[in-house]
Amino acid sequence: MSTTQERADTQKRFTLAKKGFDEADDRFASSRWFVSVLDKIFPDHWSFMVGEIALDSLILLILTGVYLTFFFIPNSRDVVYAPTAGHVYAPLVGQHMSEAYQSVLNISFNVRFGLLMRQAHHWAALVFLAAVVFHLCRIFFTGAFRKPRETNWIIGLTLWMIVMLEGFTGYSLPDDLLSGTGIRVIYSVLEGIPFVGTWITYDLWGGRYPGTTFITRLFIVHEFIFPALIVGLLSAHLMILWRQKHTDFPGPGKTETNIRGSRVWPQYAMKAGGLAMIVSGVIFALAGLVQINPVWIYGPYTPYTVSTGSTPDWYVAWLDGAVRLWPHWEFRSFGHEIANPFFPGLLIPGVVFTLMYLWPVVDRKIYNDHERHNLLDRPRDKPFRTGVGVAAIVFFADLTLATGDDILSNNLHIPFERILEVLQYGVVIGPVAGFLIAYKACKALQRTDAHPIRHPVGGMIVRAADGSYHTLGEAHAPHAGEDGYVEVEKAEEHAEEHAEGR
Amino acid sequence: MIAALLRRRRVLAGPLAVVAVAVVVGSVLFMAGGAAHGQTGQSLLVSTNSSDILAGQTLYDTHCESCHGYEGKGGVTSAPALVSVGAAAADFYLTTGRMPLNNPANQALRHHPYFDRTQIRQLDAYIAALPGITGDGPPGPAIPTVAPLCSSPSGSGGSGGSGNRSGSGSGCVTLSEGESGFALNCAECHQAAGSGGMLSKGNVIPTLRNANITQVAEAMRVGPKPMPVFGPKEISNKEMSAIAHYVEYLHQPASPGGLRISGFGPIAEGFVGIVFGFGILLFAVRMIGTRG
Ligand code: HEC
Ligand code: HEC
Ligand code: HEM
Repeated sequence: MSTTQERADTQKRFTLAKKGFDEADDRFASSRWFVSVLDKIFPDHWSFMVGEIALDSLILLILTGVYLTFFFIPNSRDVVYAPTAGHVYAPLVGQHMSEAYQSVLNISFNVRFGLLMRQAHHWAALVFLAAVVFHLCRIFFTGAFRKPRETNWIIGLTLWMIVMLEGFTGYSLPDDLLSGTGIRVIYSVLEGIPFVGTWITYDLWGGRYPGTTFITRLFIVHEFIFPALIVGLLSAHLMILWRQKHTDFPGPGKTETNIRGSRVWPQYAMKAGGLAMIVSGVIFALAGLVQINPVWIYGPYTPYTVSTGSTPDWYVAWLDGAVRLWPHWEFRSFGHEIANPFFPGLLIPGVVFTLMYLWPVVDRKIYNDHERHNLLDRPRDKPFRTGVGVAAIVFFADLTLATGDDILSNNLHIPFERILEVLQYGVVIGPVAGFLIAYKACKALQRTDAHPIRHPVGGMIVRAADGSYHTLGEAHAPHAGEDGYVEVEKAEEHAEEHAEGR
Repeated sequence: MIAALLRRRRVLAGPLAVVAVAVVVGSVLFMAGGAAHGQTGQSLLVSTNSSDILAGQTLYDTHCESCHGYEGKGGVTSAPALVSVGAAAADFYLTTGRMPLNNPANQALRHHPYFDRTQIRQLDAYIAALPGITGDGPPGPAIPTVAPLCSSPSGSGGSGGSGNRSGSGSGCVTLSEGESGFALNCAECHQAAGSGGMLSKGNVIPTLRNANITQVAEAMRVGPKPMPVFGPKEISNKEMSAIAHYVEYLHQPASPGGLRISGFGPIAEGFVGIVFGFGILLFAVRMIGTRG
């Protein structure tokens, strides 16, 4: 049983739900738990809300995705497009296509809200991945992956990988010309795996390419296996976050053992709820205003047609770019020739992900720092790490640009071969240059920081009527508001753990 | 409490406004899909009238001979001989403003036509008559006639489901035949939406947005270098007509869903998603959260 005091507190703050709390408390003695949840403090820095953009767009993805599953038919059976009712898309009438592609046409033209949902689903995927990548960058550059949060770094990377694959499998479902071209590339990458490649492709495709089972399997992966993994890993991610608490930027009143920010209820809940509405507003605005993936223009996939400018969605474009930039070298091992697409398609991402998984260990070695950290680094204070991060961004950006090589050369009127050459050099030289520039910039910023006369932050000097000067507002003054807007949570629990740890 | 919060942080007003505007604007524009449209091709016959041929010769002598040589026999510069290129080539190069070129070393690209309709007719007539005048070389392709579109999307027979490439005997063609012909023969260079692409060695593959139905048909028969020639063996007159109609359809496709950026494919979509989707959200988050 909770104490009367706790109960009274709860009731005072949650008058609206008073009755409900009473009933629940009588049964589960849950007030204490509720209060601890609702009083949890979240830091207010804007960059921490990017993860929430990701979460909101994931929820939109699931909702719109569920709607699409009602109408999508995951079958590669050959049909002839001859609709007898509803809107007929004239340029495809009488053509052979898979049932899957036909069902996407049906979703787009005849299902109520079908096209809106398809477009919202796809836009949400693009925004989702952008939020995930930004979130990852924040974690890296501020050192938030350091002890004790290495586990969440590893879970996060796995999530990123799965989410990219989830997007790619979704892109491949409609079985239009772009989908098919993408699957064809994956097929040749997998086939190129030394020794076992042919087996793997034979098993995945249930026979020879393109086969008749692949879309059904892809669908199971896209709408069940990956989403289940994503939701599972995400839950672990958030539970660990809850347990370990947020990191925060250093600042007045912030220490390794406290957290400043807003309580879950009501401030943070209002902000998060408002943000969720903004996210769905923006995504549905895009879905209503800007066309995305008009599969009827690309036409049904047939192995002998191809369109120029066929690229994957932006978040996996770097893999496609790697395939495009990789020179036509030949490798042999044990008398086997290793097919070319294997290197850029699997080896490069393999190396990249291994390095990223290992980074917390590498970072610990570089800075010889085995402490626990709840306060973040400012990127400028860790020039080497920041340099490595910038180098990685340049690397990914170069590969992503390579996907658009034909579009670039068409619009910039630079020969295609020249663009490839520049990007091939760029993928080697660019990261080095990025590292050096970032390193130097960090050092320069550190020097400005060390300068004795620093700019006051947040203060405002006003001149009164009598000619005297006053300062309004102090730098970093805590914004204490009537609702206790800023709270300092004494993390005793935390301090204890900290003490035990040594 | 919530009212106070509302006043101070404006957490709810902004999002609600965004949602409202999004819903209204989104649904209005969403419903406004393009309407299907079609147009029958006009047939352009080449004049065999001797006064037209004579007028064409005069124009030729002043504007073309310096490069293409006396009576189109070539050999003066790198410019090819015109004796058996036919009226299709002349008409295509002149109506797309590719000729006259100012420097034989340049790639002949689309420009505003240099001559008016009558002058072009006269030059067409002259070049079509060149094999007769010079007495050597076979006649080149005439300006192709584009068959009209069928009134029903499944072709005149109306027996939907019989496959699209089986010719139904009657003279009309369907957009569907055009779509599959285009996907098979042209999308590889001109992109599925006809927005153009890149050929190696710096040759531009133009968008097909500016080409009218006759020019598309001519382009197939002429093959403006470096585009290959698609003769009647590769593409029948019927399929050529269908493709020409489909390219014209692509100018204003009945393609719902809002602003069309499909011409640039997923890369452009990614750009819009990152800048106008995620970018706006980042801005929102900066307004909601604290800084520094
Ligand atoms: C500055 C030199 C120059 C002038 C002037 C010029 N041309 Fe050309 N013409 C060329 C070159 C070079 C080509 C080949 C370019 C190409 O195929 O892209 C060409 C190609 C052509 C072709 C296509 C030939 C084929 O093989 O299909 C036609 C038709 C043509 N010219 C007609 C004309 C006419 C008619 C005029 C006068 C109004 C004209 N040209 C003026 C240089 C010139
Ligand atoms: C090998 C690549 C390639 C293929 C395949 C190809 N084209 Fe072209 N096409 C080109 C190039 C390159 C040009 C520009 C020629 C020039 O510079 O004069 C062009 C020009 C054109 C033009 C003139 C555009 C304008 O506005 O002036 C039309 C029309 C056209 N193509 C239609 C087609 C059609 C229809 C097909 C399919 C039957 C097709 N092309 C197939 C490469 C190709
Ligand atoms: C977790 C993140 C997800 C991402 C990144 C994602 C991404 C995508 C993408 C890019 C497409 C292509 C859409 C198009 O061509 O217009 C797609 C299609 C599809 N998705 Fe998802 N998706 C996700 C989750 C889900 C979930 C949870 C479901 C359902 C339970 C789902 C169901 C579908 C279906 C049925 C299609 C095919 C229908 C169509 O193409 O119109 N998706 N997905």
